[in-house]
Amino acid sequence: MIAASQPSETLQPRLSKALVLVRQAEAAGATHEETAGLVLLLNKALQLDEQATGAPASDGQRKAELLAQADETLGRVETEAGQLEVIAASRTFNNSLFAYLSAGILAIVSTLAFVLGVSFSRRYRIKRTFQMRVFRK
Amino acid sequence: MVSQNRRRLLVVFLTSLIVFEMVAYVTTTPRPREQFFQLYVLGANRLLSDYYPNNDPNIGVGDLVRWHVGVTDSMGSVQLVVIRIKLANQTIRPPDDLQAQPSPAPLVTEFRRFIQDNETWEMPFFWQIVNADMPEGSTRILEMQINNETHQVPGLTALDGHNFRVILELWTWEPQSETLQFGWSSGNERRVAWLQVWFNMTSSARQ
Repeated sequence: MIAASQPSETLQPRLSKALVLVRQAEAAGATHEETAGLVLLLNKALQLDEQATGAPASDGQRKAELLAQADETLGRVETEAGQLEVIAASRTFNNSLFAYLSAGILAIVSTLAFVLGVSFSRRYRIKRTFQMRVFRK
Repeated sequence: MVSQNRRRLLVVFLTSLIVFEMVAYVTTTPRPREQFFQLYVLGANRLLSDYYPNNDPNIGVGDLVRWHVGVTDSMGSVQLVVIRIKLANQTIRPPDDLQAQPSPAPLVTEFRRFIQDNETWEMPFFWQIVNADMPEGSTRILEMQINNETHQVPGLTALDGHNFRVILELWTWEPQSETLQFGWSSGNERRVAWLQVWFNMTSSARQ
């Protein structure tokens, strides 16, 4: 839980970039479970930023360390989000391809079923015709 | 006869192909949906009741008020949300829904977090007034403690301590402009979410 002002100025561009990359991964089809880890890292970076903001001004080294850690965490988010986007996009493409190909195959199968149905129906009618008996009235 | 059969087959194949491809399109294309956030405040028992100690909105110095604040993300993507806590009296303007303007009330503190689509972030919001004085028949709040952290309030006064408000505003991070914005953008529209809970701090409560 964080109670502070805006993210520190040095962190803002990285934070925005990381958020955009995570959203791109989501748009490419990444699942909630896949992005959950990235959101955890983003929150960790926010927490580090808040700790850096709350650190006393005299403790400049600690502040710099915390900001460096936050920066590193955001860098990790960027890398993982990029990889996730590639995986998710490839999976989405494969799923779409499978769905459209399945539709084509189903169309062929249903046409064959129609042909078979018509053929059976014809045979049945021919059979019935040849089974007919003629009776004299 | 043969060409008629072929034509019939072609019609059957094309019809079923169109039907099945449409089904494939519908199942693989994400449906557009309304984008929004939900912001809520619950009482001590996480219900829409028990907002004040002993159900008395007249709060004294040191009375701990237990609320639970939550946000649900239905934007379809990960969002950085910020809940800004402001303290106001009766005369300070509340946020403007139509113009999407935040309240000019003084900011006491804020809480930030990244949340996923369809995720609800709920946090305890325990607060109390820790320092107030009473100049000339009015009550002035000077310090407020929220979740065990003390925050200065820039001298907010109310006549005889009536009609103070805690305002909760939902802000979101806009990565393109790299700024916090009040509310969120949904298509071309700006939408906002805010809440206010009234309380009194009269002289009888302070004794």
